[in-house]
Amino acid sequence: MNPKLDLLQGTLDLLVLRTLVSMGSLHGYGIARRIEQLSGDEVLLNQGTIYAALVRLQNRGWIAAEWGASENNRRAKYYSITRSGRKRLAVETSYWQRLSAVIGRVLAPAEGGPK
Amino acid sequence: MNVGVLWARLKGLMRRRDFDEELQKEIAAHLELATAENLRRGMPPEEARRLAAVRFGSVTSAKEGAWDERGWPGLASCLQDARYAVRGMRTNPGFTLVMVATLALGIGLCSVLFSVLNGFVLRPVPGVWDAGRLVTLAAPVPYPYFETYRNQKGLSAGMAAFIGPVPFGIAVNARADGKTERVFGHLVSPEYFSTLGVKPLLGRFFDPAQESPGAGATVVVSERFWRTRLHADPQVAGRALRVNGRQATIVGVGPKDFLGIFPSTPAEVFLPVTADPAIAPELADDILHRTTQPAFRVLVRLRPDMTLAATEARLDAHTRELDRQTAKRGPEQKGRQVRLLLAGQASPLSIPERSLVVTFYTLLVGLVLSLTCSNLAGLILARGSARSREIAIRLSIGASRFRVIRQLLTESLILAACGGVAGFAAAYGLLDLIARVRGDSTLLQSEIAFTPDLRVALFAFLISALAGAGFGLLPALAATRADLATALKASMGTRRSRYRRFGLRNLFVVYQVAAAMMLILMMGVWSSGLRNAANLDPGFDPAPLQFFSLDPARDGLTPNQSAGVLTGLAQRLARLPGVESVALADQPPLNLTAPNSAVSVPSVPGGSRESVHAVALLSIGPGYFATLGAPVVRGAEFAERDLGLDAASGDILPAVINQTAAKDLFGGADPLGRRIRQEEEGVQRTFQVTGVVRYDRQSLAVNRPVATICLPLTRYDLRRSSRSGTIVLLRARTHLDGATIRRELASIDPNLTMFKPQTMREFLAGANRVIQSGIAFTSGVGLFGLLLACVGLAGVTAQAVERRRKEIGIRMALGARPPQVLRLVMREGAVMISAGAAFGFVGAYGISRVLAAASAQMAEIIGWSTGNRALTLGIPLLLVSLAAIACYLPARRSVSLDPLVALREE
Repeated sequence: MNPKLDLLQGTLDLLVLRTLVSMGSLHGYGIARRIEQLSGDEVLLNQGTIYAALVRLQNRGWIAAEWGASENNRRAKYYSITRSGRKRLAVETSYWQRLSAVIGRVLAPAEGGPK
Repeated sequence: MNVGVLWARLKGLMRRRDFDEELQKEIAAHLELATAENLRRGMPPEEARRLAAVRFGSVTSAKEGAWDERGWPGLASCLQDARYAVRGMRTNPGFTLVMVATLALGIGLCSVLFSVLNGFVLRPVPGVWDAGRLVTLAAPVPYPYFETYRNQKGLSAGMAAFIGPVPFGIAVNARADGKTERVFGHLVSPEYFSTLGVKPLLGRFFDPAQESPGAGATVVVSERFWRTRLHADPQVAGRALRVNGRQATIVGVGPKDFLGIFPSTPAEVFLPVTADPAIAPELADDILHRTTQPAFRVLVRLRPDMTLAATEARLDAHTRELDRQTAKRGPEQKGRQVRLLLAGQASPLSIPERSLVVTFYTLLVGLVLSLTCSNLAGLILARGSARSREIAIRLSIGASRFRVIRQLLTESLILAACGGVAGFAAAYGLLDLIARVRGDSTLLQSEIAFTPDLRVALFAFLISALAGAGFGLLPALAATRADLATALKASMGTRRSRYRRFGLRNLFVVYQVAAAMMLILMMGVWSSGLRNAANLDPGFDPAPLQFFSLDPARDGLTPNQSAGVLTGLAQRLARLPGVESVALADQPPLNLTAPNSAVSVPSVPGGSRESVHAVALLSIGPGYFATLGAPVVRGAEFAERDLGLDAASGDILPAVINQTAAKDLFGGADPLGRRIRQEEEGVQRTFQVTGVVRYDRQSLAVNRPVATICLPLTRYDLRRSSRSGTIVLLRARTHLDGATIRRELASIDPNLTMFKPQTMREFLAGANRVIQSGIAFTSGVGLFGLLLACVGLAGVTAQAVERRRKEIGIRMALGARPPQVLRLVMREGAVMISAGAAFGFVGAYGISRVLAAASAQMAEIIGWSTGNRALTLGIPLLLVSLAAIACYLPARRSVSLDPLVALREE
């Protein structure tokens, strides 16, 4: 069995932003679960690490936070993406697509190569 | 960064407790949500909670991770460092106080030095646009020369001519009976203001169309004059002033802070060069058209694309051409005819002069600062050994070396900041005080502002940061290099028990002694030069003397009236009760100028070979030396009949020379009847010696008696107005008060205004005060160096004793006697002191060579001082013995060490 994927530097931020775009307002646990589900549980995610990312994104003004009531009627902090966060996501997304395309091309098995 | 983001970040800077509390709530909610979901999936409650915790990972590291991201991540950990440093400083107040006080002294001293430099050469002329591009011709030129320069295309970005500073008798009250006040101003060509790039605050400046000859007199006043004398009247344009007794209309007010191009001699009023000579006597004799009267200073704004040297070369070529056309100087002169000086600062300087001054002060600041830093670094190193275990523990539990160094640097930067603030405040207070003391000295007319400005504050900030990094970095590097294992394991006593001859700490001490030696020697030379000048032996008794000045031409009198009033004045005043005698002169006794006139005498009587000498020239009326109380040793002084002579019509003027001049000019031969020739501005004058006086006055600028030639103050001289006016010297049994003199003057002419009345004692005290403050300053700097070196040595020795407690204890237990132990400890200090002293002496010698080569006046002072054994041997001896004492006091503690106690410890 393959071990789970380690997240590359900076990719967690991207995933959080993407999640918030599709889900609207969400608390930290919800974001973590959503990322795990979307990745088909392939990503190794200590859920706790999501909070550092949330503080970082808030600092940059890409997401906003607000206390609200959760589904089981507890108070939880709800995060939503801001307008500059959407812009940032667009930039980062296109960057990732270009990067992964390039990496893919470079690593594609050459004719007669291994595998 | 928008407001929301800023707020989020600022919130991030809040206390960790608040941050943690909020995050804790969030994490609790997270875990509860996860548990709830697990329960929904049918897990038993215990398992649900456990899995939620496992999936979350470490709560602590989540908190730490989030904490590191908040606010400005770098800044926050800096704040943490700062908080830690302040706590450390508070627990060790003695150490902190010593550090801050030393820093305050060092930075304060540097700020004072820099303020002086700033006042002299760095601060641009206030109110002027782009002062750095302004230059001035070193020597004045005739007006037609200036017109030729000005008409050259592409030579400059603006050029103006002016005469100044020139005194004016100004009455704000335009009525004829108003009291006049003597203020200084410039007579300017119309381009003056545009060349300087100043705009009027009110009204207009001069304009060739309106200031044509024959039009009514006009004047521009400075903003300061307008504010202090005209009550900042907004309707001032068009108002009349009395200037030198004539009506003049104010046409404009200059901008704020603008006091002419040479603010050290501020110009309060400006008159056009086209003004009538009746209002400005300097413009008499059709001076604007004479090619033989070099009366005008020329101000040039350099073109952006031309260097000073290129401009100088072109001006020089034009000047040579003009000299040839006017056939003024006969044979071709060698060398440059034109020298340009930088005019953008307090007083004009050539580029080499400027760099000499800057180098000298940079050297001083560098010495003081590095002395301070090495002293503090030594202290921190000494403390570093005590802290080495703390540092070792922090390193061993995972702090990176960078992090520990940063933390140590933060500590020294905070100390430096405290010291910087205290030092700057002290410098500000001191300079403010000096400015006030200097304010009432009548001697210096200069108004160079030394009070620290923004530039000095910035400098203080910079050197504080530099000092903080300087004294913090090396010890921090050294402390973190410590070998972890030994530092943790070993106690203080055994660690590094080996004597390290070239350790960092010892290098600091050697440097300190060397720097202190250089500083003290330099200051000693400087201060002994001043002390020599302070030894003002007037050569007469000042008690019965007082004097005041008159300038009748500025009070509106015609040249003939002026001469008439002054000629009769001595007799009239001599009739006042208590007055013994009265005499006139063209300058105060003991003038501040160096000998600045060249005269030549035949080497042998009647011979054709001549020798040239530098002398001071002085014009005096009859009975001057009798009034002053200086004995005439040969011949006689001037009498009434000498007043009628006129050098211009070929009369040979009689001359009374002082004994120094007699020796300089004629050696041992009898000077009476000998001829002296003087040539100035192409005019030849011949004097014949008729007397020798014992008046070997000294001036402040030079350190030896000045050869002086006194000429009669003739009626011709009295017709003209001089810059300092005419000095009236009185010898009286009792002090004559101002009211009595004013009453007498008013009875002669109601317009006559006396200025600068003072007693001779006040005058000499003023001169002394200036010198004394200079001596106090230089001694202060030297003392500072001495003190720092001693403190540093004492600290390092005390620490060496502490470090070697165990070793000393063992030695004593094995039978070493106290003198042997003392010698052991002192040997280390003695080596460092001698090495430092030797380096310092050589360094000071090198510096003195460089300075002497760069400046003649410096060479004179240095040459005089190096002959002074007390200075060249005494100062090093003093330093070495004080250093030895500083070393001995803590070393003595080693002797009183109880071996049993020392060995039992730890």
